[in-house]
Amino acid sequence: MPASLRKELFATPLDGVVTVLLITGLAAAGSRLLHWALTQADWAVIQANSTLFAVGRYPIEQQWRLWLLGALLAAAAGLSWGVLRGLALPDRPTTALWPRHDRLAASLLVLLAAWAPAALGLTLTIQSRWWGLTGLLLLVRWLAGRYGSRLGKTAPLVLPMVWPLLYLVGMVLIGGGLGLVAVGANEWGGLLLTLVQASFAILLSAPLGVLLALGRRSSLPLLRWGSVVYIEFIRGAPLITLLFLGQNILGFLLPGGMAPDRIWRAAWILTFFSAAYLAEAVRSGLAAVPRGQLEAARSLGLSLPQALAKVVLPQALRIALPATVGQFISLLQDTTLLSLIGLLDLLGTARSVMANPLFLGKSAEVYLTLAVLFWCCCAALGLGSRALERRLNPPSLGR
Amino acid sequence: MTAEPKVAKSPAMIEARGVEKWYPNGFHALRGVDLTVQRGEVVVIMGPSGSGKSTFIRTFNALEEFQKGSITVDGIALNDDLRKIDAIRREVGMVFQQFNLFPHLSVLDNLTLAPVLVRKRSKGEVLNQAMALLERVGIAEQAHKFPGQLSGGQQQRVAIARSLCMEPRILLFDEPTSSLDPEMVREVLEVMQGLAADGMTMVVVTHEVGFARQVADRVVLMADGQVVEEATPERFFDHPQHERSRQFLSQIL
Repeated sequence: MPASLRKELFATPLDGVVTVLLITGLAAAGSRLLHWALTQADWAVIQANSTLFAVGRYPIEQQWRLWLLGALLAAAAGLSWGVLRGLALPDRPTTALWPRHDRLAASLLVLLAAWAPAALGLTLTIQSRWWGLTGLLLLVRWLAGRYGSRLGKTAPLVLPMVWPLLYLVGMVLIGGGLGLVAVGANEWGGLLLTLVQASFAILLSAPLGVLLALGRRSSLPLLRWGSVVYIEFIRGAPLITLLFLGQNILGFLLPGGMAPDRIWRAAWILTFFSAAYLAEAVRSGLAAVPRGQLEAARSLGLSLPQALAKVVLPQALRIALPATVGQFISLLQDTTLLSLIGLLDLLGTARSVMANPLFLGKSAEVYLTLAVLFWCCCAALGLGSRALERRLNPPSLGR
Repeated sequence: MTAEPKVAKSPAMIEARGVEKWYPNGFHALRGVDLTVQRGEVVVIMGPSGSGKSTFIRTFNALEEFQKGSITVDGIALNDDLRKIDAIRREVGMVFQQFNLFPHLSVLDNLTLAPVLVRKRSKGEVLNQAMALLERVGIAEQAHKFPGQLSGGQQQRVAIARSLCMEPRILLFDEPTSSLDPEMVREVLEVMQGLAADGMTMVVVTHEVGFARQVADRVVLMADGQVVEEATPERFFDHPQHERSRQFLSQIL
């Protein structure tokens, strides 16, 4: 055992006892879970319903659109990964093309692609599509890491444009229009619906939250009080209440066509809900930027919007980033409440599957799968945020 | 004939008359302050803490509001008109006690941000000027570093260069050396001395007696929101006229 590890785990006799007890407990629970998963659990419920869990009742003959979207997503993810890695600041020379952590992540992805589709009992055609997506992601990651730094400082600016654009393309691919057959929102389900709802709310609540935070600190009383009332009202009500309320009143509140059905009403409620919490995260970021920053910017002649956009917000948003991503992670998990208003999101699909007499008593398998899926999505968000955070910190003397 | 004052004909750069300010809590910070600063003049404002000297110079570029009196900067009367405030801020540079460099931007970007955004000048042209200014304040080799990587003295010199990059007609210094380690004070004062020698109009709030003696055309002593004494450095330091001045000088000398 390395000396550092011994010092951390067995520094005092009490530490040693705690360490031994914890390790024993974890090992016992872990081995039982593993034993259950490998010998007793019946994973047929997942294999038989994998398509349902993934996309709900999305028409089979239109599913190629989702594969195309998957390919675009893989490319965008690879691009972001590569560009962020290549983002070197003056005191941080560009590191290796595949640093240790990246090699580890890439190996995990390859293992996952090799194992998961096979374990789900997918046909060889579909298995090979998953291999293709993984390969594409890693290829773009390699290209962006290799050549992205040639774009210099503009490279990271590509990302905030790529993702919203991809979102629009994705919505057309999923929902139809522009010559594609329309697939109504009530035919989306499973992970697809969960991700559509979460990404819609994330993308729209981010700007809304920033505006609310600025409004709350504005010197215009109407704007300030309006923001305060909105934020405190939303934060004072449970999300599930708002979701039910929204189903009933959003039809009158929003202009016609913006919330045509239950699914879009729920998406708007998630957005409004998340914006109030984001506003508080951004507000704490704004409060952490010294007053002298705004004064210096204004004394140089910058207008208030210029000073906010170029000096105050870049610093405030960097400070607020961890809290913001934390909010996005809760938002992703909050989408499970949609099952309570009768939507077939990931949890709603799971409940309908478990209600099927064929799969009675298979709740443990289903819930474990759900937990792992959600954990993967949240871990990806968290990892991305930490990578971004490290690279946005300006270098200072102390480092 | 006595020699003509160097700027007798042109109107004053800063003309403050009877400026009064109350803070929202009712504190009467400025009680009718008058000050005239001529073109090319260096005026040092001294005084005990809480005397209102920082508040006073911060009214010149509208970082602080005032309730009574009038201030005219380079011929523009300061009032609630936002366009006039913006026009004045373009002409008035300010150097702060805490430097207030933008930590998320490189040194060079700190300098070029305002000229590009506010004066709409081309980035390339501003870059050349910025490099020349960094050369002048002696830190051209740090151009691509970030503020957090510089010492306090270096940061304050960058802050001065940042103000100069807007080509202001007046520079205000709000205790520019007060938060510096003693060994870094001199490098900043030398830069300021160079500016004064080049004819820059400067209003400096400072406790640096040596600087005031060597560089100032006039020294103003403020106490309790009022101007107590206004004199040449020689007269002020060697023959102060007022009891309050003598008391202040006995504390800092």
